[in-house]
Amino acid sequence: MSDTRFVNQRAVGTSVLPDEAIPLVEGDGRFLNDIKLAGMYHVAFLRSQHAHARILSIDTSKAKTLSGVIKVVTGKDILGKVEPFRSMPNRFSGGESVQHWLAVEKVRFCGEAICAVVAEDRATAEDAVELIEVEYDPLPAVTDPREGEKDDAPRVHDTVTNNYLIKREYQRGEPAKAFADAHLVIKRQFRIHRKQALCLEGRGVVAAWREGSFPLTLWISHQLPYVVRHYIALHLGLAENDVRIIAPHTGGGFGQKASIYPEEFLCAHLALTLRRPVKWVEDRFENMVASTHARDQYIEVEVAFDKDGRILALGSDIWVDVGAYSTYLWSAGMEPLQTGGLMPGPYKVPAMRYRTRGVATNKTPVGPYRAVGRPSASASLELVLDEAARKLSIDPAELRMRNLIPMEAMPYRNANNLVHDNVNYVPCLKLASAKAGYEKLRAEQKELLSQGKMRGIGISCFAELTGLGTTTAVGPGTLLQPGRDAVTLRLETTGVLTIAAALPSQGQRIMTAMRQVACDELGIKLEDITSMSNDTSMAPYGFGTFASRTAVFGSGAVIQAAKELRRRILALGAFLLEVPVEQLTIANSEIQTLDRSKSLSLRAMAERSFFTAKGIPDELNKGFEVTSFYDPKHGSFAGGAHIVAVDIDTDTGQVSITRYIAAEDIGTIINPAVVEGQIIGGIAQGVGEALMEELIYDEEGQPRTVTLADYLIPSAIDIPNVELHHASTPSHALGGFKGCGEGSIIGAVGAIACAVVDAMSRRGGDLHEFPATPERVLRGLGVVT
Amino acid sequence: MAREQRIEVTVNGRRYEKTVPVRLSLADFIRDHLDLTGTHLGCEHGVCGACTVMLDGRTARSCLTLAVQADGAEIVTIEGLRSEDGKRHIVQDAFFENFALQCGYCTPGMLMTTIELLQDTPNPSEAEIREALSGNLCRCSGYQAIIKAVQVAAEKMQK
Repeated sequence: MSDTRFVNQRAVGTSVLPDEAIPLVEGDGRFLNDIKLAGMYHVAFLRSQHAHARILSIDTSKAKTLSGVIKVVTGKDILGKVEPFRSMPNRFSGGESVQHWLAVEKVRFCGEAICAVVAEDRATAEDAVELIEVEYDPLPAVTDPREGEKDDAPRVHDTVTNNYLIKREYQRGEPAKAFADAHLVIKRQFRIHRKQALCLEGRGVVAAWREGSFPLTLWISHQLPYVVRHYIALHLGLAENDVRIIAPHTGGGFGQKASIYPEEFLCAHLALTLRRPVKWVEDRFENMVASTHARDQYIEVEVAFDKDGRILALGSDIWVDVGAYSTYLWSAGMEPLQTGGLMPGPYKVPAMRYRTRGVATNKTPVGPYRAVGRPSASASLELVLDEAARKLSIDPAELRMRNLIPMEAMPYRNANNLVHDNVNYVPCLKLASAKAGYEKLRAEQKELLSQGKMRGIGISCFAELTGLGTTTAVGPGTLLQPGRDAVTLRLETTGVLTIAAALPSQGQRIMTAMRQVACDELGIKLEDITSMSNDTSMAPYGFGTFASRTAVFGSGAVIQAAKELRRRILALGAFLLEVPVEQLTIANSEIQTLDRSKSLSLRAMAERSFFTAKGIPDELNKGFEVTSFYDPKHGSFAGGAHIVAVDIDTDTGQVSITRYIAAEDIGTIINPAVVEGQIIGGIAQGVGEALMEELIYDEEGQPRTVTLADYLIPSAIDIPNVELHHASTPSHALGGFKGCGEGSIIGAVGAIACAVVDAMSRRGGDLHEFPATPERVLRGLGVVT
Repeated sequence: MAREQRIEVTVNGRRYEKTVPVRLSLADFIRDHLDLTGTHLGCEHGVCGACTVMLDGRTARSCLTLAVQADGAEIVTIEGLRSEDGKRHIVQDAFFENFALQCGYCTPGMLMTTIELLQDTPNPSEAEIREALSGNLCRCSGYQAIIKAVQVAAEKMQK
């Protein structure tokens, strides 16, 4: 394996230009909405205008007579023909929710689909939706989790008492004793509002009957093709090999496209019953109300400290507004369980307890989104650390340094039962402080404060568990243990290598990463390697792209498969070149003797092995296609430290970021430029989460943010230049890789929240509710009431 | 009012004569009637900028423009940026070589806005670039690589 590395420059570690981006930059990308099939029908949905109501009647007669309308379908029409979504069993489940693909009897959130119209074109389908008349009997709506858990609150589901879809209490160590004996106890409240992933491209599906050799083909804008295939088969009563799933170019995922939703499944049902291709593409309004939301937590946190500022115990009480249904596959447990369980982050916590609840409300369901739970968990703890630092007169960076898990203590099992190993938390904070010129930054702050300006500095240290193998569940409490993914390596007869995997990229350049790893492992030139990662008819089994796992799994599986493929190539090479196998290596797509006196191109070998194989012993010609499953068993912690300086406009309450320094440990880096894009992109979403993005509902459960004019995400003028530095250390996973897709959003929310509160505290202000919009900042300063 | 109207447009150098519904947006016309799917729709409210095209030499939101409003106009979409021999535009090259796109959904609009910026301001400051691109939302990149790409393109175009 290693000998090629003396011959070739390693591809891993260099910013290889991603060929997979060429179609996108040239306008030849093929996104879901770009797919057009002969005879294709279009689908539009009628959606509930009420947060909670009984459906008294649905009159579709006018819609059905509109010219161009093929079919109008209601929930009752499909009852018994397809399996609705029952909440995934979860050990911490409070009660079961059943989500029909089209509402039956009741609607439970604004935007829930009630009818589907199939028409010759989308405009006609939408016209017909307008002609459907629904009579509702409005019911009282649950719009707040702390109200919703009360005994006398209305129920979202008759079967779910106190609206608890999830409830868990956890304790480890002796937190009560630690709190009693503590030198200092800090309690804070932290509220973060609802947001959403806001992929620039919404969801969508083209479902086709008998396209090619499959009864059902689905092009779907999704992160998990094989998982979709399994559940489509299950819910429509098909066999898995009746179904082909293709994820075309996908305009953002971030977790929102990792769940299973009713609309796409209904379209598959329609394609089968109509025996015609059907297409549905989510418009922005639908995306704002019918694709999963995220966050929406109330957190009460308390931390016990000794006199030196060391954490003795951590306690938290958490309420998450999880919306109307348990998100299919992942359950309602994502935010509630991860917020509680992952709150210790990179800090030594000897004892902890938490109580967390996922309370059903009459709002859009909450599902997975970048770094589930952890931004809020981390920010609430970081704000407590800052308050402790102020009370104990210890510098906030120093206080964190005292609490971070140092390398020499690893492997370290924290009070949340997770083991930290090979992760540079302390070096990351040191590096970020050094690059920031932390002391100078504080001196500048003092100077500005004396001039009456409001400057704040925030620090956040975070841990992110990435590349989770089968021993650690991604969805806590659920039956899902996505920890095994496969890659197939195939040497084609022209000597080029194809990598096939079901690990779709929404911009993470997974294919490029796998090509880089294969190049190093096999000595095949990068330009001789192609990769495909989005089609179940060509790729081996895999769970797909989520939870900062894909580069770890894809690369690990490539390394494993390459080992066997390399053995086969060299064995046949030895036979054809008539030299002992030990004297051979592969470099520049050639089999070469180590002294380079003899060589054979992979093309010549591959052609010979297939077209003129006579005379080659069978045992040397088993085929040059190898599939390997990789399971890293445990996850690998990645980590980092972010330092942020903000200025607050004292008149308007507007927060602007003046410096942003990040130091990260994400293991062995495959492609530095790609990694930089992932990290800075995550920070940008964190800026939105901390300062801008909020999905607003009124007291009746009506959404008030339904366009991009109402819901602000950061633009180029809102995001600072990020100064990014690396303090990497390899993980135990194959190749030493760690995931890096999500972590930076954790650091961003915590560091920005701390910087804002740091600035406000100098004026006697404080802030417990985020995003830190100008209005909230002014209220927190007592400027407005 | 007539439900349909005949229009003549030139798109990427090719002339089209089509009868279109008067309610049809320019974006849907370009995508569904001309099959030029490189132009993307992100919000249909004129906010995100993904649908930006060149209309008579200036950028326009094709989601807020009706197809009939473009009658007689000359339009350039991302498919028209390559030269006749298939070479990428300098701005396309700069985006590719500086990793300025991830999912690629906002890229068509970003390219158009960048080209207009560099026509008007050949040597823009970072603040000018950020201001010019502030009407084009990107959810993936955090903009940093895009700013770099625009700076590189500006340098190359001045040579």
